[in-house]
Amino acid sequence: MDNVMEFSGITNEEISAARHCLEYALSSGASKARVSVSKNVQDSIQLLNGEVDKVSRNADRVLSINLFADGRYGTYSTNRFSGKEVEVFISKAIERTKMLTPDKFRDLPSPDRYALGAVTGMELGLYDRTYEGISAEDRIAAALSGSIYGNAGPQAGYGIISEECEYSDSVDDCYMADSQGFEGRHTETSFSFWSEMTIYDSKGDRYTGYWWTSSPHRNRIDIGICSPTALEKAIAQTGASRHDGGRFTMVVDSRCSSRLAAPLLNALNGSAIQQKNSFLEGSLGQKIFPDELTIKDLALSRGMTGARLFDSEGVATADTDIIRQGRVEMYFANTYYAARLGIRPTVDGPSRPVVRPFIKDGLAKDLEYGENGINLQTILESARDGILVTGFNGGNYNRATGYFSYGVEGFAFRDGKITCPVKEMLITGDMLTLWKSVIAAGSDACEGSRWQIPALAFGNVDFAG
Amino acid sequence: MNQEDFFNIFRTGRNRMEQAVAAGLSEGGDWCDLYFEYTVYNDLLLKDGEVNDGGYNEDFGVGIRVLDGDRTGYAYSESTELKDMLAAAKAASSIACRTASGCKASVIQAGTVGRHRESCSGMNGVSTARDSLYATGKTWDNVQHAMFLPFLKRIDSSVRSKDGSIVRVMVHFADYQSYVMMFNSLGELVVDSRPMCSITVTAVFSRNGKTENSTASWSHRCGAEMLSPELAERLACDVVKGIDARFEARRPKGGEMPVVMGAGASGILLHEAMGHAFEADFNRKGQSIFSDRIGRRICRQGISIVDDGTIPGNRGAVNHDDEGVPGQKTYMVEDGILTSYLHDRISASFYGVSPTGNGRRESFRFNPIPRMRATYMEAGDACPEDIIGSVRHGIFVDEFSNGQVKIGEGDFTFYVKSGYLIENGRLTAPVKDINVIGNGPEALSRITAVGNDLKIDDGTWTCGKEQNVPVSVGIPTVLVSSLVVGGE
Repeated sequence: MDNVMEFSGITNEEISAARHCLEYALSSGASKARVSVSKNVQDSIQLLNGEVDKVSRNADRVLSINLFADGRYGTYSTNRFSGKEVEVFISKAIERTKMLTPDKFRDLPSPDRYALGAVTGMELGLYDRTYEGISAEDRIAAALSGSIYGNAGPQAGYGIISEECEYSDSVDDCYMADSQGFEGRHTETSFSFWSEMTIYDSKGDRYTGYWWTSSPHRNRIDIGICSPTALEKAIAQTGASRHDGGRFTMVVDSRCSSRLAAPLLNALNGSAIQQKNSFLEGSLGQKIFPDELTIKDLALSRGMTGARLFDSEGVATADTDIIRQGRVEMYFANTYYAARLGIRPTVDGPSRPVVRPFIKDGLAKDLEYGENGINLQTILESARDGILVTGFNGGNYNRATGYFSYGVEGFAFRDGKITCPVKEMLITGDMLTLWKSVIAAGSDACEGSRWQIPALAFGNVDFAG
Repeated sequence: MNQEDFFNIFRTGRNRMEQAVAAGLSEGGDWCDLYFEYTVYNDLLLKDGEVNDGGYNEDFGVGIRVLDGDRTGYAYSESTELKDMLAAAKAASSIACRTASGCKASVIQAGTVGRHRESCSGMNGVSTARDSLYATGKTWDNVQHAMFLPFLKRIDSSVRSKDGSIVRVMVHFADYQSYVMMFNSLGELVVDSRPMCSITVTAVFSRNGKTENSTASWSHRCGAEMLSPELAERLACDVVKGIDARFEARRPKGGEMPVVMGAGASGILLHEAMGHAFEADFNRKGQSIFSDRIGRRICRQGISIVDDGTIPGNRGAVNHDDEGVPGQKTYMVEDGILTSYLHDRISASFYGVSPTGNGRRESFRFNPIPRMRATYMEAGDACPEDIIGSVRHGIFVDEFSNGQVKIGEGDFTFYVKSGYLIENGRLTAPVKDINVIGNGPEALSRITAVGNDLKIDDGTWTCGKEQNVPVSVGIPTVLVSSLVVGGE
């Protein structure tokens, strides 16, 4: 596999092709345009029960163009952009754009908002140069090193049905330019490993456990921990049953807490606000959450997943407050939606949202913890009794009202200690009330996640079982 | 279109494809196939009364798969030049090389590999669509999309005319035309031209400071001739239907109770909670709760569950699946007995049966895996009104959304988008934003009545198991004697 499609990044020829697209678009009737070229290469090795089951190599490149013509706007992409093909593509795109209705709010960003320092794509330290030296054999070895099938130790009370795991690495390279002179580049590598263990218990019931690790840097993934942890997760669920319904403190593990953070952050999206499809419409500048809740967007975290110097319009990102001490500080409004809403434009969405760790006063009197030292156990002990959610199974929320209902599984806990596994439980409520009742946030977000959402605790959540 | 037209689209020919296949098998694999695809996607978006956003995307490439027993090597190229295809084939061939370099032996017994990888095209070497399930007048890449603007505006004005509390309407129109050519190491060549049109209408309503939203969708493998004023009116009616009830709807008191699933869209529960567990890859790996249950009774006599790729124009219809196997209708459960899993070529070989035409993929970037098409339960003989009338206290579900299932455990959860309480055999208060939760095999065994009103829903259903593929769902009115309903 090594002699095939080695990643060389976006070439000078491809950058020239992108610039030619801009020039051609402007000479063919577009008033403004933005073009981007993205390349991605991903290799993966999948194992089934300790044996190589699938080997794959994906290599993509795509050219995308946003066209502004006669007050109209359209977006187009193709993976064929050699020679004359791209000119035919752009001519057709301009023709299509002119078919649409004019929209006076469509425009490129003000040039003073552009990112200036994204020249090589590697400024944020997200590219691991060791990627270039990885051979096919290295990948196989990495995958096999994570398997414990056949070597999982004594199996008291359960048997292993299957172990599936996958090692993968990838590199993404993106170059963007527009007709106002913006040029930017972003390059990053990614390394990941996941494992899923399926077991049966003494009654023949099946249980599955899952664990993963990922990072932009090869030496920061812990492959060896995945299968044992996945197995541990599966074993811990054996004998799970429904728990009586009622109102309980809910602690949500950091591996699944983003499921509850996503509705909150999505509700701050300019598109949802403008289309009146957000339960946080009208919340900008309002203090609606507890004083302790602060969520920042740390877009410039060097070497960390999610960091970026510019958004999809080329606008410079920054480390900013999304919610500060309970007050909504920003909507994610790009140039278009900001103009529509009549507000100051920001960026197109969160880059690397981070929740500040805290335990609300009154619940942690006897606990001592240092800054950033709040782990799951600390939260369980401060909450004392309740249900720890370790996984979601289905459910949804209403974007307009915030009402939600989710299937959950996890463990009941008493006096800060896990007592029994629970399954087939439902939580219901509305997102606004839920987040108003947040009582703790840990400092244990998964390193490889773009959204740094830690373990969370909420008071008085409705459970049905 | 004939074979030559496809050779022209992909700038290749049989000789070059044979060379690529030979390169794929150079390390000793026992099967190689090529999947060429050229797809043009179009979309138009109406917001705030104007069609002021849209675009298109074109995607071109070839995916090359090599099988060695039940192991897969996969690579693709966005170029169909011979040198690029050979490079991708060589990359995919490494799966066989891995075995030779010391991986453990395959679980398949020697001699069975390839036994069932016989000709499946049914066309003795070259197959075009026989009687196409989705014949169109003009393909979507050859129509002027300006002609659809009045159609979208018609939907918008019709929706707005039906309810004074509407504050936003959004209409998303998307279509694609996909040209597909498949060639395999048996020398079989299959070509297909696949259309798709999808329309999604979303409305936001505001009454007395309260906000609600509603969505209606429609999707078929069809041409532009299907876009009629009647369709526009139907979508407008669908999106405002039941909105009064949604404003009034409350969460009911939760607990274990009978659940009546309305005909049509609630078939998503069948897809998620049962259908996935019937997909043979999960069973081959022993992970499904239905593993080793072939031939056993899993629900009452009289209940049959089908996965059907042969419904003309249906979103899940396939002339051939993405391995070149003809589309077919597969009974998974027949008269209460589990009769078949859904197979691709790998699992068919493993189980020693013929592929069922369920090998599907999102695009040339993905290898095919067992996937559903149109999954439904066949009609029974009960009258829907009698089913509802038989329930003293329970809920009736119009529509589910966002279902999820744990394949191993069989546990599922579904969000109830809209429904009603059933009290003393009558539909009473509307309910919303609740979940039902249960276990697939248990729920199947608790089906006590099946209505005579099977309806295949024509919404924009997309299944996201590893890759996105279009599917559809259907069900008649069905009574499940007991499920947990989450509520206040």
